[in-house]
Amino acid sequence: MRLLHNYHYAAAMLLFCLGLHTVIVRRNIIKKLIGLNIMETSVFFFYISLGYLEGGIAPIRTGGADPARMVNPIPQALILTGIVVAVSVTALALSMVILLYRQYGTLDVDRLMREEEPEAGESGKEG
Amino acid sequence: MGAWRHFPIFMITVPLLGAVLLPFLGYAREKWVPYASLLPLGTSALLGVLLIGRIPSGGYLSYHMGGWEPPFGIEIRLDYVGLFLMLVVCGITTLALVYSRHYIEKEVSGGRRTAYYVLYLLMSGAMLGFVATGDIFNLFVFMEILALSSYALVAITGNRNAVRAAFKYILMGAPSSIMVLLAIGFLYSVTGTLNMADLARRIAESGFTEVLIVSYILLVVGFGVKAALFPLHMWLPDAHSIAPSPISALLSGLLVEVCAFALVRITLSVFTMRASDLVMGTADAVGVAAAAAVLYGGIMAILQKDLKMMIAYSTVSHIGYIFLGLTAFTAEGLTGAMYHMLDHGLAKACLFLCAGNFIYLKGYRRIEDLKGAWVQMPWTCFAFALASLSVIGIPPTAGFISKWYLILGNVKGGKWLYAAVLLAGSILAAVYCLRIIYYMFFQSGKEGAWEEYWHDAPPAMLAPVWVLSLATLFFGVFSSLIIPSLLKAAAYLL
Amino acid sequence: MKKVAALLFISALAVLLLFVVAGMPPMGDPGNPTVTHVIPRYLERAEEETHTVNVITGIILNYRGYDTMGEVTVIFCALAAVLAVLGRERRGVIHGFVDRSEVPASVIVKTMVRFIVPFIILFSVYTILHGETSPGGGFQGGAVIGGSMIIFTTIFGLYESSRRIPLKVRAPLEGAAVMGFFLVGSLGLVGGGNFLTYAWPRVAQGLHPSLVVWLTVLVEVGIGLGGAMVLTSILFAMIREEEEIAPAS
Repeated sequence: MRLLHNYHYAAAMLLFCLGLHTVIVRRNIIKKLIGLNIMETSVFFFYISLGYLEGGIAPIRTGGADPARMVNPIPQALILTGIVVAVSVTALALSMVILLYRQYGTLDVDRLMREEEPEAGESGKEG
Repeated sequence: MGAWRHFPIFMITVPLLGAVLLPFLGYAREKWVPYASLLPLGTSALLGVLLIGRIPSGGYLSYHMGGWEPPFGIEIRLDYVGLFLMLVVCGITTLALVYSRHYIEKEVSGGRRTAYYVLYLLMSGAMLGFVATGDIFNLFVFMEILALSSYALVAITGNRNAVRAAFKYILMGAPSSIMVLLAIGFLYSVTGTLNMADLARRIAESGFTEVLIVSYILLVVGFGVKAALFPLHMWLPDAHSIAPSPISALLSGLLVEVCAFALVRITLSVFTMRASDLVMGTADAVGVAAAAAVLYGGIMAILQKDLKMMIAYSTVSHIGYIFLGLTAFTAEGLTGAMYHMLDHGLAKACLFLCAGNFIYLKGYRRIEDLKGAWVQMPWTCFAFALASLSVIGIPPTAGFISKWYLILGNVKGGKWLYAAVLLAGSILAAVYCLRIIYYMFFQSGKEGAWEEYWHDAPPAMLAPVWVLSLATLFFGVFSSLIIPSLLKAAAYLL
Repeated sequence: MKKVAALLFISALAVLLLFVVAGMPPMGDPGNPTVTHVIPRYLERAEEETHTVNVITGIILNYRGYDTMGEVTVIFCALAAVLAVLGRERRGVIHGFVDRSEVPASVIVKTMVRFIVPFIILFSVYTILHGETSPGGGFQGGAVIGGSMIIFTTIFGLYESSRRIPLKVRAPLEGAAVMGFFLVGSLGLVGGGNFLTYAWPRVAQGLHPSLVVWLTVLVEVGIGLGGAMVLTSILFAMIREEEEIAPAS
């Protein structure tokens, strides 16, 4: 049936759910970021599989390659951008993890979020 | 074919280029950075103003990047509503930038000030690009620039709570972006195109209903997190209250609204004709969530002790208003939603900047501390009061106009319950706003809390506050400048 | 309790998504909308219109160049964001006093790394410049340079690598990608077309191939350099060990 034929997509969806589960459930913030990366990678995998053509060849026009048999170049172009975006978010998130660890001494999200914010009177600065 | 055709793309790229060039200036003469960063934004604002009147209110301006016609190239598609929003963005970002000069000097440590202005320009340019684009993947790219710059700007003071709030924002914002990307993938797989106009045509004819429904749901959730629609709003109170005040103003006043606008555009312009079968189910859910947002945000705002937290929850409430305007599916409701983006942007930015004034001068963040504030800071207090009137919806402010149309739109659409919710929201807003006004003007502060004479914020911080609050009055009285064209544009969209 | 709720939610989502997958067009089918709608034009005419043999490069730099401009802005924004959070090293001061690993790298590793890194950089330059004719492109090459710097910094420490690529080299080049796009885009206006047009209408048809190729290479090199410098700067910012990274709260 169709689901089995589209097994690439199905695998991508399962990975996506796995990644989202990791982001939601894990307490260690680095594991959450890994889960985020799994989600992102699964979406990239999904996109590239979209471009697949039965018996296709790479979309590079050399040596008389037949355009009708080339795989779809658009998802690949989109994913190049997507990867850059994913890298950027991961880099920023990791920088914040570095800061958070220095300031709070923990990587556990429950302990991080549970600390009360100081009342304003003490410091003139934000928060 | 005049030169003005090219204005939109320059409105977008000039701030981005400015952001890239700013570090060089920061290296040479750091003092000039705040002033220099006004140049790109001022240019965008000027170009935007010059574009007024060039776009017919039923039509749009279409610009093909690189000369390739869509769907082979990316198109910039600017209709009347889009230009309207771009101008709102330009205006508020410029004002908050003027405000930033003093505030950032005090709150952000030296090495990061240039980074602040760089990120600020990136965020502004990205917002403009986000509103103007006609290609759905391009929308995603600009949304990411917007998201990244906002994550960093929330954390920029380096304060522990700020970093924590920013991280919480990332933990909700990043997965939502991925969901949007996945949804775009689904849409692409069944239509083969990324251009929004082309998508609309192909979706209308497409037979792959399950895929379309799920991609719409993913888009609603993805943009809903960014637009802080209840119950996806959890990141907002911390992030908006802890960010530096000019950034809070931008985030609450512009960012969440622009993301709400993106969802509106996707619903009406991309999923158009299928709106009746595909979208309605989800739209009903959105309506319920929006109504809950109005009430929840209002109640939580009343319960807050910290001024900026209160204003942040008020934002949650008002985003509900915008979505209730969408789900009414009438021209009046949509007009109300659009106009609310204007007046909420102005009023909310004004409120946050006023809060910033209190923090900058006295370090006071709690509502309690505002008792008797008018003795020392009457200008700020009056501006706050004026903006609050718009938040509550009292004539003749712009807030009244938008709420009028929102309620009218819902009544016309047969959604009496939502109209009642909107009224209830105004009552809740009256409670939390009037309480502050009462404290500021009619109570006296503790000993030594306030100085005896007038010593308000410096002019660079007062002027934007006053421009914003007067603007809420102006757009209330002179709403006839904009409303008829909005009504026409809204009817066209539907 | 929260775990059970999360598990239920994820399972429901998985079922929903698999349901969607079952409803999608079959993978690899030549009749798919993705294959029939826009792609044939790209595949057929990319060579004449973009003068690049690699259709994907033609798409990302020419047809959808605006998206790539957004992409380089994203990476620049990431740099600005990381620097806003972590702070930048002070000018003229070289940081990285500590060899960070507990087990110092052996002589074999150090020699191999020092030997290989130049070849990696050579390979990345090749990748950047050959984006038009073979798989590759600007950002890919830039990322490889970033990777080589990671290896180098891990083995030799921050001091050595920031001597190799000091701030005064990195800082001007970080924005190279965006500036390159803006330059080429504005030139497109001068040439009579829209923003980011490569084949200028005002110029004779015969000149177009070399014009387009040169502009494409310009943009490509900008992206490559910019990406490499951004990734390196992010790396250095994250590795730098310093007391005053955040004000005491």
